[in-house]
Amino acid sequence: MKKMTLIAALLGMTSIAGTAQADKLDDIISSGTLRCAVVLDFPPMGMRDESNVPIGFDVDYCNDLAAALGVEAEIVETPFPERIPALMSGRVDVGVASTSDTLERAKTVGFSVPYFAFEMAVTANNATGISSYEGMKGFTVGAVAGTYEAIALEAQVKEWGEGEFRPYQTQADVFLALSQGQLDATVSTSTVAQANVQSGNFGDISVVGFAPFDTDYVALFAKRDEYGFLNYLDLFVNQQVRTGRYDELYEKWVGGEVPQLMVPNVYR
Amino acid sequence: MAARITRAAFLLFPKGRITQMFDYTFQWKQALNRLPQMLDGAMVTMEIAILSMGLGILLAILLTVMRLSGSRPLMAFATTWVEIARNTPALFQIYMAHFGVASFGIHFSPFVSLLIGITFNNAGYLTENFRGALKAIPDTQGRAGRSLGLTQLQAFRHIIMPQMLRISFLPMTNQMVWAILMTSLGVTVGMNSDLYGVTQDLNALTFRTFELFALAGVIFYLITKAITFGGRLIAARLFRY
Repeated sequence: MKKMTLIAALLGMTSIAGTAQADKLDDIISSGTLRCAVVLDFPPMGMRDESNVPIGFDVDYCNDLAAALGVEAEIVETPFPERIPALMSGRVDVGVASTSDTLERAKTVGFSVPYFAFEMAVTANNATGISSYEGMKGFTVGAVAGTYEAIALEAQVKEWGEGEFRPYQTQADVFLALSQGQLDATVSTSTVAQANVQSGNFGDISVVGFAPFDTDYVALFAKRDEYGFLNYLDLFVNQQVRTGRYDELYEKWVGGEVPQLMVPNVYR
Repeated sequence: MAARITRAAFLLFPKGRITQMFDYTFQWKQALNRLPQMLDGAMVTMEIAILSMGLGILLAILLTVMRLSGSRPLMAFATTWVEIARNTPALFQIYMAHFGVASFGIHFSPFVSLLIGITFNNAGYLTENFRGALKAIPDTQGRAGRSLGLTQLQAFRHIIMPQMLRISFLPMTNQMVWAILMTSLGVTVGMNSDLYGVTQDLNALTFRTFELFALAGVIFYLITKAITFGGRLIAARLFRY
């Protein structure tokens, strides 16, 4: 008898649940909150101001997206390696986390069109005399674990066949190691490199050149099967550029020539 | 486990609305393809754990002798070591062995930093294990040795220490398990060749977080189980008087 009741209850639940076909976009709008995964250890994309409030390009971008959806934005601080668990466990709705849109990763998550593009710069400890990307050959180099530049640099060190690659957990650790001489040079986004060299916190280091990696296009990401939401994200990125908001945010947080978000000669 | 939950959920809720919670498709093959790399990492993890354990035991014996020596500076040194090792996070000890000493211009590679950090921790805990073991050995034995003309050090080496090591053998396997698990902290000092470091690298590459870390978890479990089991086998021999 008890078993029958249980089965009836379960059937009842499935039929109720079955009628609601709300997708992620509906869920966000009806919940009134957009939860964004943002990396807050990655100036000027994500960081904290003196009163510990999250600020940066990605933070503003999340706020804009929430405003477009007509909901409140909630910034969920997410270190680089924890972006996917945060999304998959449902702690966040969308990643606004400077995430490179590699094909390998796209097997797991869904990416929007690129919303930002990075160039990679080489920063070296002045004591080493490294003056270019090629100059790093044979030295100990490092980058933040789990980032585009770390993957590219590790591959490069393997190709060179000499020197050593070390991934550290945070951008702060990378620059600490660089200033202590534990690392001879690092590759990071040019924005991060400039911000950290100018901060003066890390002693005798300087930006010595660009790394010849492909332009690092970064995209918003959401669950792979949420087409309605991903479609909205694509249009949102497009609108940010169209309305001039992208240029405005770039000028506010980075400055200088605004990178093109379009790859020539191909769609998307 | 989660795959089983998904399957059970599917049986209970065939319409699939439960996917709201479990809409992640596990791709075990992608993780299993990386198994050889992870097993290489497991070897490095074992290497660090075994080295740190061997060095830790030697240091712990030295610290125990210092504690018994009756010399104030030596006792203070040993006590300070044990206090720091046992009452601060292992993460802190490893971080200090890398970034801490570097501010004095001493540079250790991630491997060495991790080894030093874990050895420091092992030595501290093992010294406490040895202290417990010593309490189980009657004082009269040492005195009997002395009365037979052995020096204090000889009495310790030939009478007390063999019993001490035997009594504290099982707690030592505990510490060995702990050493294996502590290697996962190496990523904070730039380690990427141990099991956890390899897994994290692969995760960055593929974003197959759940599969890869689940696999790493299974490997860690198997290693530590093997150690506990091996420890029991050895203990069965050692305890046979």
